[in-house]
Amino acid sequence: MLSKEALREIEAARAEEESARHALLTALRTVQRERRQVGPEEIAYIADLLGLSPAVVQGVARFYDQITETPTGQHVLSLCRGISCYLCGADDVAAEVRQLLGVETGGTTADGQFTLRLVECVGACDRAPAAMVDDRFVGPVQADTIHALTKL
Amino acid sequence: MAQLLTRNVLDPAQRELQTALRSGAYLGFKQALSLPAHEVVAEIEASGLRGRGGAGFPTGRKWSFIHAALDQPVYLLCNADESEPGTFKDHYLIERDPHLVLEGVAIAAYAIGAHQAYIYMRGEYASIAETLARALGEALDAQIVGPNCMNSGYDLRITIQLGAGAYICGEETGLIQSLEGRRAYPRVRPPFPAVHGFLQEPTVVNNVETLACAARIMAEGAEAFKDLGTKQSAGTKLISVSGAVERPGVYEVEMGHPLMEFLAHEAGGVRRGRGLKGVIPGGTSVPILTAEEAAPLTIDYESMQSAGTMLGSGGMIVFDEDTRMPHALLRIAEFYAHESCGECTPCREGTGWMAWVLRRLLAGEGRPDDLELLLRVGDNIEGRTICGLGDASVQPVRSFIQKFRPEFEALLPKEEQGTLAWQSHGHGPRSGRFGSPAKEAMRSQAVDGPPTAAL
Ligand SMILES: Cc1cc2nc3c(=O)[nH]c(=O)nc-3n(C[C@H](O)[C@H](O)[C@H](O)COP(=O)(O)O)c2cc1C
Ligand code: SF4
Ligand code: FES
Repeated sequence: MLSKEALREIEAARAEEESARHALLTALRTVQRERRQVGPEEIAYIADLLGLSPAVVQGVARFYDQITETPTGQHVLSLCRGISCYLCGADDVAAEVRQLLGVETGGTTADGQFTLRLVECVGACDRAPAAMVDDRFVGPVQADTIHALTKL
Repeated sequence: MAQLLTRNVLDPAQRELQTALRSGAYLGFKQALSLPAHEVVAEIEASGLRGRGGAGFPTGRKWSFIHAALDQPVYLLCNADESEPGTFKDHYLIERDPHLVLEGVAIAAYAIGAHQAYIYMRGEYASIAETLARALGEALDAQIVGPNCMNSGYDLRITIQLGAGAYICGEETGLIQSLEGRRAYPRVRPPFPAVHGFLQEPTVVNNVETLACAARIMAEGAEAFKDLGTKQSAGTKLISVSGAVERPGVYEVEMGHPLMEFLAHEAGGVRRGRGLKGVIPGGTSVPILTAEEAAPLTIDYESMQSAGTMLGSGGMIVFDEDTRMPHALLRIAEFYAHESCGECTPCREGTGWMAWVLRRLLAGEGRPDDLELLLRVGDNIEGRTICGLGDASVQPVRSFIQKFRPEFEALLPKEEQGTLAWQSHGHGPRSGRFGSPAKEAMRSQAVDGPPTAAL
């Protein structure tokens, strides 16, 4: 299910920590990155790998916003709706981006390239309105910056 | 401008060990290692350093609470979760001077007798974690940290852990839970982490900036640190300023720096020459100040406290005269409703209701007593929750309504009370972390609550 590299990452976390449970967060992150979701199959896989019950894995997975139960697009575009970004016109940008990509919040573009999310403050308020493309910070964004980014 | 932590941040090469060493990196750690641990704690206590994560708790005192039995493990956790809206100083510091942060971590770990430290970073900081991991790799190779740090006989393992998107992981016991691989439900205190923390062992949780200050204190002495700032607020503070200003960013100021001068000079003034309406001095969890209230204040714990607010995380958010305060407050209230972990009732229910009542007010569907209702819901949260998020959620609601009341009153229905027919939306408050559609199964009946009956 996972690449050798990802498996190695999880196993390294597991070897370093006192119990398998501590490696769970790293496992969830790694699986999400590779599989773009942590659905039932992934949950069963992680549970097996770490020797935990699937219920435990699912319970923890559901707590975290970056772990999704259904697949995201190739990339995740997260627009910040935090207060500082709000003060800098984030709502307008979000409306334009929705129109531009033709998706609602939470949706994925028809070509499967981008999932659009609205997120709370990402800790880059000096770039308000800020956004993230996967793990990369961008901003201040306007609809045309996003247009350029999504055409990459 | 006083420069203690940001001295080297403009040099991109500062991330590399060789450059960092030339600017004095790890001299503080070396100094610490030459002293018995309790003297390091004493030095930090003497410096007057207070926690920069929000609460301002004296750092040396926190370290002195650790009394471990011989061969009992002790843990140091560096809090780099930084999810308080408007706060981005740790982001900047780790990115620009990762070795300073690692040095602080190493000093604190040594002082409390920990051989394992974790740096817990919010998931969104994955790219910054890479910078930090690279710096850690260099420090390990140079045998500065790791086994037998700088030939002192002291062993220290430092591990970087990334979160996965939940504000509550910044709360110290939420952080511990998350690190243990659990849902980040905060723990009831007592017992405090100093007694039963990570894995139930004695644990200290400190903010990134706090630890960076500790590194400077050990390198330059408690006196030098104490010479900066005011009586109750020693040293400097990183201020991340954003919102309606010309030059948003992270600035370091000496404690006691005049607030208005900071806004005018460092922050470049209110954008487009507009008037100042209000400023939140330390992240959304502290009460907002009106322009008038802000005018005489200085940036330090005691001045902020005298005005009924707090320095908090130093996440300063500026509102200009064009801001519609009820709309802005809704945005903040929605944040808390979304981030409430759902563990305790007053916060889980109350944050949802506050957002919901605000939303109906803004939709023109408010009821005559909605402002009182909002304040009452707040009163019923405050002081009745497991962690500080509940109290935090009340501060913006209460202070915005008190200080900008006419704007809220303008949203109330004009009709006479008796003739108003308020329509039910047919759905309760928007639910948070505990009740998004995917988490439906976790949801208790009460969350849905009858929107009319209870109110
Ligand atoms: C809801 C909530 C969120 C918090 N988030 C953070 C955070 O992101 N970073 C942080 O350093 N402290 C945060 N804190 C404060 C921590 O609980 C803790 O007091 C702090 O990390 C202690 O470090 P210090 O003594 O160095 O300030 C938060 C507190 C609460 C109640
Ligand atoms: S106060 Fe809120 S965030 Fe804190 S434990 Fe209770 S429900 Fe969770
Ligand atoms: S509010 Fe958008 S990055 Fe902080």
